[in-house]
Amino acid sequence: MQYLITFKTLTQAQRAARLLERAGYTLSIRRVPPDLSRSGCGYAITIRKSAYDAVELLKNSGLWTGKLFRREGEEPFREVLP
Amino acid sequence: MIYLDSAATSLYRPPAVERAIVRAMRTLANPGRGGHVPAMRAAETVYACREEAAALFHVPDPSRIVFTMNATHGLNLAIHSLVRPGTKVLISGFEHNAVTRPLHAAGADLKVAGRKLFDPAEMLASWEAALSWAEVAVCTCVSNAFGYVLPIGEIAGLCRNFGVKLIVDASQAAGILTVDYESLQAAFIAMPGHKGLLGPQGTGILLCGEEGVPLMQGGSGAESRLQTMPELLPEHLEAGTLNVCGIAGLLEGIRYVRERGEATILRHEQMLLQRAVSELSGRGLELFTGEEGQSGVLSLRCPWMDCEELASRLSDRGVCVRAGLHCAPLAHESAGTLECGTLRMSFSPFLSAQDVKKACEILVETVEEAKRN
Repeated sequence: MQYLITFKTLTQAQRAARLLERAGYTLSIRRVPPDLSRSGCGYAITIRKSAYDAVELLKNSGLWTGKLFRREGEEPFREVLP
Repeated sequence: MIYLDSAATSLYRPPAVERAIVRAMRTLANPGRGGHVPAMRAAETVYACREEAAALFHVPDPSRIVFTMNATHGLNLAIHSLVRPGTKVLISGFEHNAVTRPLHAAGADLKVAGRKLFDPAEMLASWEAALSWAEVAVCTCVSNAFGYVLPIGEIAGLCRNFGVKLIVDASQAAGILTVDYESLQAAFIAMPGHKGLLGPQGTGILLCGEEGVPLMQGGSGAESRLQTMPELLPEHLEAGTLNVCGIAGLLEGIRYVRERGEATILRHEQMLLQRAVSELSGRGLELFTGEEGQSGVLSLRCPWMDCEELASRLSDRGVCVRAGLHCAPLAHESAGTLECGTLRMSFSPFLSAQDVKKACEILVETVEEAKRN
């Protein structure tokens, strides 16, 4: 299982990544796949475990600006939030 | 060579700054312009610098740190965001051309308050009397020409009381005096990276209390389908490729400042200032000094020698100082030195008392030679 949390800008993704890392998440920052980004050139955080708690943490910190996607194996990402 | 022109730009820097710049040139690409390793390394370095600056200036959110080319760029951004033709803008009598020229270009209705050198009480009284007129205010923390430390905390408090938006020019303060974003609550605070923060030329920081209006439009690495800049800071105000190598160096400069401490650096520079005053007193020179509120900058005049000529002769003898108006004619008008300018010595955390003593001895020899001839 892989989760993807998208952000509008790289800096927002970095800020969120710092917050989640401090909370114990293992993650990486990557480009948003083109089919998931309507406005183009976004960045995302990938997490390899359930990301719902991470989303709550981001919401409580005012850093939730994007969407949450999930995929299993090599399947395409599917939007699960909002 | 003895370099006494750190108020213009730092020459002596921590070795880590140079190493970081070279490493960045070899390994870092363009942040936000790709997901490959060199791009992401660059992004990490840039964000680390935002975090380091946020910690130094007490900014809770690193995305409020916008990178600029220099303080002038930051001040232009801030003025462009807040000032329209006819906007009533209050400024101190010690502002640099980096403030006054963009204000003139924007068509601001300007008023100057506080013109007595080394007199913070007069500054505060003048501002209190004038602030009810103003819509926007711009104030420097320290006069670049004289080292006069303005009461910026109190001025910021007055601006809040009068509901006036404040732009702070921290060019001579950043890295030397405490610049506290949270307590100042200014709309914008601009500073260079290449002076007290010990980074390379071509770097600067704008602390954004407001979202601002972009001065330039262009690539940002975000929301590329849109034909407007991203709404979120810092990308909102950062069009085009950042000076990644410079920012890598600036990161190390800020780390040095945080490790050594601004208070320690200020004490050192003020010790050097006192040494210079002591060496140069009683020689017939006019020294511009305050009782307390003076940073590591000393302006002086020699009654029998033009300051540009004196600076030129000192340069020939290996002492680097700056003469003239220091891009601050308003400050010189306030101090009564507009016609002749001054010779300015400015100190650095890496100079020793012996360096300053030697430079002063050369200066005294030079002016005494001129007097004899």
